[in-house]
Amino acid sequence: MQPVISIRNLSKRYAGGHEALKHVSLDIRRGEIFALLGPNGAGKTTLISIVCGIVTPSAGTVEADGHDIVRDYRAARTRIGLVPQELHTDAFEPVWSTVAFSRGLFGKPSDSAKIEQILRDLSLWDKRKAKIKELSGGMKRRVMIAKALAHEPDILFLDEPTAGVDVELRRDMWALVRRLRDSGVTIILTTHYIEEAEEMADRVGVISKGELILVEEKHALMRKLGRKRLTLNLAEPMETVPEGLSEWDLTLSDDRSELRYEFDANAERTGVPSLLRRMSDLGIGFKDLATEQSSLEDIFVSLTSDRRERAA
Amino acid sequence: MSVGSFNHRGVWAIYRFEMYRFLRTIWTGLATPVITTSLYFVVFGSAIGSRMSDIGGVDYGAFIVPGLMMLSLFNESIFNASFGIHMPRFLGTIYEPLSAPLSPFEIVLGYVGAAVTKATSVALVILATATLFVDIAILHPGWMLAFLVLVATTFCLFGFIVGIWAKGFEQLQIIPMLIVTPLTFLGGAFYSIEVLPEPWRTITLFNPVVYLISGFRWTFYGSADVGVGVSLAATFAFLLLCLATIWWIFRTGYRLKS
Repeated sequence: MQPVISIRNLSKRYAGGHEALKHVSLDIRRGEIFALLGPNGAGKTTLISIVCGIVTPSAGTVEADGHDIVRDYRAARTRIGLVPQELHTDAFEPVWSTVAFSRGLFGKPSDSAKIEQILRDLSLWDKRKAKIKELSGGMKRRVMIAKALAHEPDILFLDEPTAGVDVELRRDMWALVRRLRDSGVTIILTTHYIEEAEEMADRVGVISKGELILVEEKHALMRKLGRKRLTLNLAEPMETVPEGLSEWDLTLSDDRSELRYEFDANAERTGVPSLLRRMSDLGIGFKDLATEQSSLEDIFVSLTSDRRERAA
Repeated sequence: MSVGSFNHRGVWAIYRFEMYRFLRTIWTGLATPVITTSLYFVVFGSAIGSRMSDIGGVDYGAFIVPGLMMLSLFNESIFNASFGIHMPRFLGTIYEPLSAPLSPFEIVLGYVGAAVTKATSVALVILATATLFVDIAILHPGWMLAFLVLVATTFCLFGFIVGIWAKGFEQLQIIPMLIVTPLTFLGGAFYSIEVLPEPWRTITLFNPVVYLISGFRWTFYGSADVGVGVSLAATFAFLLLCLATIWWIFRTGYRLKS
């Protein structure tokens, strides 16, 4: 299937010399939620801004739904909606007017029913006559999304959509993003919150210092790079890890009541059964055990720190 | 659905947005020029004008009307056009027109079109106010309107450039206050440059505003300090210079795109 966004060798060097993107190539699949992860200054916003026409690329090409964003910018931009990171709004504009304005900018005919539906979907209907300056931060964020959806785009870019919003609103946003995806909209979001990507994304891309380090199915990534930790709650506390367990790289908790073992969940031999047998042989009892999968955050930290170490 | 080769709805959205902002403050927007014009007539028309003879057969009070209209037109054109494009840059909302399927021409048409409407409206309000003080007969009304729109368009394009160039609201004021207003006062708004002694008369001819006011005054009274053809040529030359600068701005992304 043809990708809905196709990025090839995209580079951006700003006037000051900063190289924000280095030969980035990426395909976004139609209908997926793609999370672009990366630390501050990694190039996430630059990448989004180029695709949306706000920043001029230094090199490379981008196609949106088969349309080149430079040569065929009208067709490309009609398909794209953008929710920027900052809450850029006209404070004195009523909600309805600002959403209608956005629809008009994109060349769509006036459609009150459509705008009403968008405002209702975003719980903004009661605020349609309110001026933007009268709204809370969370409501303003919803207005930004309503503006981006006003022209019914097929592709929606969300740049840090839940930055600075409370937990309840964040969960509302996640639900909204899922509904949009279910309605056929392709979602590309950037985020600092690994939890957000872990919760929503179908695929994850990690960008660092302008380079796309990896692109992977979220679950496959977690399977591939994920490590598991086994925690054994000991029947009796111990002073040190016994000599007989030295072949497993075990750590003892500070209160001496737990033994921890990290292992590769995908390895053919995890070492867990043999560890438990050896403990039984040595008469070391345990009251409980638990395993936990390493999170996307652990993977992200591991990936970016590996690169830092290699660079050093 | 494609927007076609001309995004008229996008242009209309920008135009309507800008006009709503004008209408929100319409009373202050129109009251200011009305009061200012009235004060000019009190000072120049009654206090000073009554002691002055006709200029080229035109009563002094009536003589200054085209100059007053031009003075306001210049300032309103620059202010409205520069403010119109500077505000979205300042607020960050410029991302919307830049990411919309709008060509540079359509963006300029929306912002400058609204600014031209506002500036010409104010100039016509000044004309209406002036009729309360003096008798005015417009010899070439069609040319008067055409010249008004041409000069407004030119100065709105110039204002658009100022709005993109300015890094803050202080800089928006610099060009109108320090350049345009002095040039207008020295460009024959309140006198005919024929009355100036040499070398001042020749020096004044280097002031581009002279040609605009002179041409505009011709549409009222059929007489001008310089030839009407020269006035039109000077106006078109400035218009083309502004268009070329705006073309360069969008081509390079100067202060619009990084």
